[in-house]
Amino acid sequence: MPIEVLDPTWGDGAAPFALADRLASLEGAVVGVISNGKQGTRAFFEGLADELQRSYGVADVDVAVKSNYSAPAEAHILDRASRWNALVSGIGD
Amino acid sequence: MSIIEALQSPRHVLDDAVAAQEFFHSRGWTDGLPVVPPTPEVVAACLEWAGLPPDHLVGIEPVRQRQVTAEKLAINAVMAGCLPMHFPVVVTALTAMLQEPFLLHGATASTGGCAVLLVVNGPIRQEIGMSGTFNALGPSDRASTCIGRAVRLVLGNLFEVRPGEIDRSTFGHPGKISWCIAEDEENTPWSSVSEERIGDPYASAVTAMAAMAPRQLMNEWTTIPEEILDTFAAEIRANMTHYSIWPGNYAIVVPPQLREHFDAAGWSKADIRQYVFEQARIHRRDWAAVGKGSVVGDKGDREYPALPDPDHLIVIAAGGPAGGFGAVIPPWLGHKSRAVTVPVGACVDC
Repeated sequence: MPIEVLDPTWGDGAAPFALADRLASLEGAVVGVISNGKQGTRAFFEGLADELQRSYGVADVDVAVKSNYSAPAEAHILDRASRWNALVSGIGD
Repeated sequence: MSIIEALQSPRHVLDDAVAAQEFFHSRGWTDGLPVVPPTPEVVAACLEWAGLPPDHLVGIEPVRQRQVTAEKLAINAVMAGCLPMHFPVVVTALTAMLQEPFLLHGATASTGGCAVLLVVNGPIRQEIGMSGTFNALGPSDRASTCIGRAVRLVLGNLFEVRPGEIDRSTFGHPGKISWCIAEDEENTPWSSVSEERIGDPYASAVTAMAAMAPRQLMNEWTTIPEEILDTFAAEIRANMTHYSIWPGNYAIVVPPQLREHFDAAGWSKADIRQYVFEQARIHRRDWAAVGKGSVVGDKGDREYPALPDPDHLIVIAAGGPAGGFGAVIPPWLGHKSRAVTVPVGACVDC
């Protein structure tokens, strides 16, 4: 006998997100890095910042560290992000 | 318009109940166990029992801003085996978990692999047949098992908290299948967990805690409260050295055989909290003895309490009548997630 059931998932009602415009080049750009803040990430993100400047001509790298690596970035970090041309969302352990 | 007509979720017509099982399993909508097919009629019965319209907004997940409706909770509750009378507890549990201090996304995504522990208090426990005695930390009764499982199905189906997707747990633990406890209020003079946390002795309420697996202990060889609690504190200290040093909401579960000694000595939950607060602390140098000497550094003499203050200890009266056991339930990760208590029927954001 046929049975009718309901879909249990949240579905495809995701809020629409639009990707930011892509940069043609990182030359002279200000790049932000949002670090999740785990202890072992410091050296990695410092190395990433050096590499971005050395190999890609990035003008400045601004590393922002979350105070709680399990929570979203704080408002003051998002304020800083408004001055960045690109950002790296950094998750490390 | 009837509740059935008001349901907004997509509908699927399948050959029969057996086909429905495979349909749900094939889409990753289950925990691997069979589910009750969520037909519009039984889902509507849950909503009707709780007095909630399908589009009632139970909460919004703070990180991804997902709106959680009563309809979606009811569908998953039915799948988990819940009866309509269980549904208000499921709604309350999710209401608690969606409060910002609970940090739902972090707690369910973490490699740490905690589960959501629910503690139910008040008259609703007896109304729906929950038991806080035998096998209290396991499948003690139908309501507890189904309510705890409903939470897990909701996490998977509404937030993609599935292994390898949002759930990045290294291990997880068995409480992630279902973990719901009714406090044994009838067999203790203590005030209940919810009364101590929200101040209402008559309300039914649910406390949600992001919790690691329980650590069982035993001390049947004393009647002195301090000595019994020394065993609990030692287990907490072991967790602080072996797992996480950070302070947060710990829970302890105390069965009748140990409770009678506290009762005889006139100890309240507040007395227990204060004693454990004083005893459950370690120095960073203690890590050197368990192979973690490399991170002691210059903080060896620094003292770390398990609890930021005594009120962070949740004391639960539960367990079968015989056995001088106890259990320590550690927090997921210190204070990053906080236990949240919500009365049944409350609308937190209204």
